Amino acid sequence: MKPKDEQKQENILFVGIDLGTSRSSISASNQTRVWIESFVGWPKDFIAQQVIGKPVLFGAEALENRLSLDFCRPLERGIIKEGIDRSDEAVKEIIRHLIDLAKPQPGQKIHAVVGVPADSLKVNKLAIRKAVAEYVHSLMVVSEPFAVAYGMNLLNNALVIDIGAGTTDFCIMHGTIPSEEDQKTILTAGDYIDAQLFSYLSEKYPNSNFNRNMVRQFKERFSFVREIPDDIHVEIPVDGKPVMHDIKNEIRRACESILPALVETTTEMIARFDPEFQVKIKNNIVLAGGGSLIRGIAGYLQEALKEYGPCKVTCVADALFAGSDGAVKLALDMPSKYWETL
Amino acid sequence: MISVFSRNSEFKVRRAILKGVYEENLVILGKRRGKLARQTPDFRKRFFFILLLSVAALLMHQNYITNRFVPDEPVTAHATTEGSGSWLADKPFVASSGSSMYNEFLSNQGIPLRSVFGLGVQTIMIDAGHGGSDSGTIGKMGTMEKDITLDIAKRLKTRILRTGKYRVVMTRDDDSKISLNQRVDMARDAKADLFISIHLNYLPHKPINIIETYYFGTSSDDSVLRLAQEENADSEYKMSDFKEIIEKIGKTMKLQESRDFAAAIQKNLFLNSRQHNDAIQDFGVKRAPFVVLLGVDVPAVLAEVSCLSNRDEEIELASETHRENIARYLEAGILDYLDKGDITHEAKR
Repeated sequence: MKPKDEQKQENILFVGIDLGTSRSSISASNQTRVWIESFVGWPKDFIAQQVIGKPVLFGAEALENRLSLDFCRPLERGIIKEGIDRSDEAVKEIIRHLIDLAKPQPGQKIHAVVGVPADSLKVNKLAIRKAVAEYVHSLMVVSEPFAVAYGMNLLNNALVIDIGAGTTDFCIMHGTIPSEEDQKTILTAGDYIDAQLFSYLSEKYPNSNFNRNMVRQFKERFSFVREIPDDIHVEIPVDGKPVMHDIKNEIRRACESILPALVETTTEMIARFDPEFQVKIKNNIVLAGGGSLIRGIAGYLQEALKEYGPCKVTCVADALFAGSDGAVKLALDMPSKYWETL
Repeated sequence: MISVFSRNSEFKVRRAILKGVYEENLVILGKRRGKLARQTPDFRKRFFFILLLSVAALLMHQNYITNRFVPDEPVTAHATTEGSGSWLADKPFVASSGSSMYNEFLSNQGIPLRSVFGLGVQTIMIDAGHGGSDSGTIGKMGTMEKDITLDIAKRLKTRILRTGKYRVVMTRDDDSKISLNQRVDMARDAKADLFISIHLNYLPHKPINIIETYYFGTSSDDSVLRLAQEENADSEYKMSDFKEIIEKIGKTMKLQESRDFAAAIQKNLFLNSRQHNDAIQDFGVKRAPFVVLLGVDVPAVLAEVSCLSNRDEEIELASETHRENIARYLEAGILDYLDKGDITHEAKR
């Protein structure tokens, strides 16, 4: 949808930001779409600053230099810990960096819709406002699964499940803005899979040298549930020598570890609704977030929910940008009278 | 025709959702909800204003009449609140040695010994529990007790300094590990007159949120003893210090004052917290053999100000407002204890 003419004339850049635990993305009305990993690092001391040559690092670059940095993953477990471990400062840096990446023209006003984990929306309203206020002229904050639902026109009788790194957010859409009762957050998400995989691999290969970052990369590359035909072999050093390891079983066990909570919460959310609507919602379940990229997860959930009647589970086409695309769509649709100056 | 109808209906839904997003966000902008939606004409506003004034005037008049004949009972720090149980959960302390008259004097609940001896408070020591490699308890979302206690302690310090009446010393003002006996030594070196240690509770098997405050004493409750065991883990005291420890138990004035101090803290923490959170439970004032409370020679309490095992509470603790509120209630408790006779239940902003 195009912005209204008068908004165009005012030279406004509309941006949608998905502020995630693991990755954050921005989609702008000037067609820019960029993502970064939600890591921020500041040089630990003067020497580190001299070596790195930047006052602050983001995403993959921060991860690479993490030993010389005060490293922060601000939305770990879905909320901003205000005033503790610099997480509010880190959110501010991420927002600034993302807006820079969207390349606004000099003097152009910025109207932003920011999607955040549902728990963060509940408790960190002021912190988010403080973090964003410096860089935008007007702001709206929504929950991540709601932004996804809006972007996909899932406005009525739909359930969006956003499987992120820190949290899995459930959001039922029934023709109005979802209330707190329509949303639920659980902590079994991507980070939980990482922790499980790390422990399974440590148990199976006690002499191999791997860290949590490597484990996260294995998960992102190979994740699956149920069965896949191929073997999964990765190279992990043992006493300094690269050795091939078979990790297929461990990947499957770790990925499947989130499924019981996922199925249980899905049925609980659906059961809250009138039986007539339950059928409609069951046929409109959409998985979003990084977790929707786990091979076979939609099929597994569909199979598991079959005993409650027929249902249809699909995954978003672009897990990385579904949230920010939905947020920018919301920004563009929002009547100009609703945009208030911060 | 059907497609036009469904497009119209989708348009209406979309419009309602956009308006809903706007109204939700007015809170974030720091404005009231629904400002745009209601455009009340001026004459109607004036009418409601006059009506409101008339009702207020009538109510004030009635209140004046009622107050003249039914005076309010002042509530003291030792009062028991209806439905919340006693602030002093344990039996009142009675000194075990000395003459009966002396015992009576020591156990007199009405006159604080501090007042009898004319002792004032100049220095307050705030102890942020744990620190450094000792993270204390860790919530399910990764929140560490040491970070929260330090943050609340710093906020409490700022608030007390703002009164301009007291000197405030902290056992730590950064993320460093300090053993319990070091904390005790710091309190002595700083000539602290009052000592408050801030901690968070953790109840893995109960999804509840509780507030409780301890002062030094023996306890027969297993769970209290287990908690004391955990908190005393790195005390670095030796068995050779035992004689001195036993002698300290006899310090009646410290115990009596600590008990009153604990009651004031618990009352203010709980009553004020309950205004925001109905689910919070009052576990009262308790005695427990915490080493840090024993070592300090002045009135000393250990406040378990929140419960990190409760997920909702952990989420709340991430917000600065909630931590500032806890500091505010602790400040109210301290001032309540220090200004006995001039008691306010509601913490001041």
